[in-house]
Amino acid sequence: MELIFKVYRHDPAAGTKPALESYPVSLPDGATVLDGLFQIRDRHDGGLAFRAACGRGFCGECTLRINRSGKLACITKVAQVAKDGEVTVEPVRNITVLKDLVYDVDELLWQKIAWVEPWLRPATAQPEGGYVIPDAGLEPIRKAMSCYYCGLCDEGCSVIPFDRRFSGPAALTKAFRVVFDPRDGAARERLLRLGEPRGMWDCVHCYEANEHCPRGIDPTDRIFDLRDKAVELGVKSGTANPQVARHYDSFAASVRQSGWLDEGRLALETWGLGRLGELLPMAWRALRRGKLPVPYLHRKRPGAEWIRKIFDKVEKRS
Amino acid sequence: MSYAFYPGCVSRGGCPELYPSAVKVAGRLGLGLEELTDVGCNGAGVLSRAVSDPINARTFAKAEARGLTQLMTICSTCTGVMGGANLRLKEDPAYRERINREFLAEERLAYQGSVDVKHLLWLLVEDYGLDRLRAEVRRPLKGLRVSPFYGCYIRRPDGILEGKPARKRYLEMVIEALGAEVTDFGGKGKCCGFPVLTANEPNSMAMVAAHTGEAKSKGAECMVTPCPLCHLNLDGGQPRAAKMKGTAIDLPILHLPQLIGLALGFSTEELHLKRHIVPTRPVAEKVSLLT
Repeated sequence: MELIFKVYRHDPAAGTKPALESYPVSLPDGATVLDGLFQIRDRHDGGLAFRAACGRGFCGECTLRINRSGKLACITKVAQVAKDGEVTVEPVRNITVLKDLVYDVDELLWQKIAWVEPWLRPATAQPEGGYVIPDAGLEPIRKAMSCYYCGLCDEGCSVIPFDRRFSGPAALTKAFRVVFDPRDGAARERLLRLGEPRGMWDCVHCYEANEHCPRGIDPTDRIFDLRDKAVELGVKSGTANPQVARHYDSFAASVRQSGWLDEGRLALETWGLGRLGELLPMAWRALRRGKLPVPYLHRKRPGAEWIRKIFDKVEKRS
Repeated sequence: MSYAFYPGCVSRGGCPELYPSAVKVAGRLGLGLEELTDVGCNGAGVLSRAVSDPINARTFAKAEARGLTQLMTICSTCTGVMGGANLRLKEDPAYRERINREFLAEERLAYQGSVDVKHLLWLLVEDYGLDRLRAEVRRPLKGLRVSPFYGCYIRRPDGILEGKPARKRYLEMVIEALGAEVTDFGGKGKCCGFPVLTANEPNSMAMVAAHTGEAKSKGAECMVTPCPLCHLNLDGGQPRAAKMKGTAIDLPILHLPQLIGLALGFSTEELHLKRHIVPTRPVAEKVSLLT
């Protein structure tokens, strides 16, 4: 295959401007994008910087944007991604580039993973002989334990392009891994921390993380697991965003009482009187267009008592 | 074929223009809808699955009790949440049996796992057929430039596509079948920001501004969405998003049944186009020139 690789080049230390440089490459049919990068470094420019290690999709080191989509360069076949004989290779988005295709993984991942306190905090002293866990005890977290921090889920995340502070699916998956570890005894404290701004409630649950994870961990579902656990333990938000807990409580209360959602009540109870000044113009706009859901004037759906019973049973069980 | 109709909460609450538009369109197309009136909110991704899975199993059991296996929604979020619950209940018979036993048996209900959850969009393309839809068009929306906006839950995760990757293009196919022009843009499959309107309003509004602004800059005269929650944010939140961005956007956002309804010949009044926050007058005026 004769192709053109368009590769992101940027050396901030040298003060150069970012640019896509074109390189001709000649590769066998089964070649990967990483093969192409090695060839460019061998034949065209020994100064091209990129990361790679295992070369077989097992370490997550070579995460890049290939033709505008996050992928591992070592397992991405050139033949499958080339468009009109071209392959574009760039660093992941929304991150500080150190040089060319090498970016600041500390900023992308490690600082965020540190924020979720990725170590176990047992509630009791270590028993003699260590903690012995039946195999089944680790089953719920086994997949999450296989995460190798490639960062593809964060690369595909819908929130990070708008807010680089968001902890992101990789760190939240790590949080899931420790919260659900049977040896850990700090779930409440952890969930309180994860409930603060930049944590799990800032996730839009768009499922992009599931689509991007090469390990089948389904990080979006793991974030849902954390949220469900927080609800179960009554830690529905952090201290800096109490409106999140009020939102959940109001949503649940109206469905419990009437079978369906009272949207007017939800807005009022979520934001309270403190934001009445902001809510009123919105309410006025909606009222003028005949679409203001009036709070509390909300008829029960037929059979609402059965919905209430479902809530009762779940509460009783937990 | 008859469909169990699950209209959801928002189509009669925050977006009261959606329900009557959908019912009118379904009536004109001859879709046999049997509305499920005695079922609950599916949880919308807010309620924990411990609560919402039993509620959704109950909804499916209610449809089965009426002899219906096809359940139609008019909301991407309802589709995704109920579709996800349905997958869990279908793929794990032991889980389904536990839900039946613990939550539904007292009401003498049991979900057998036979229901398919389908958004109107999927139903139109897969069951009704675009050729039949084209044949029903009385007012081709010629020259109207429309950007599609899907909503996350109707595209992801992969399981929701049920092996039909073309579902990621159905909106464009319907827009073209109605005679309008597709104005494509990168944000069409992204998140509208509604899920974090409470937790992080600045992020939510930034998403609205980015997507509506991008579609507008590509030349769209309006945007169409199959999700009323996206509509709440993209339409209702647009004035705030524009203010935060510091530029006017003014992109009308139409519900899918409204766009179809316009092509079927319904008036803008019948489709309640005046109930939107961002004025739809430019669309109404253009459509009126087509009649």
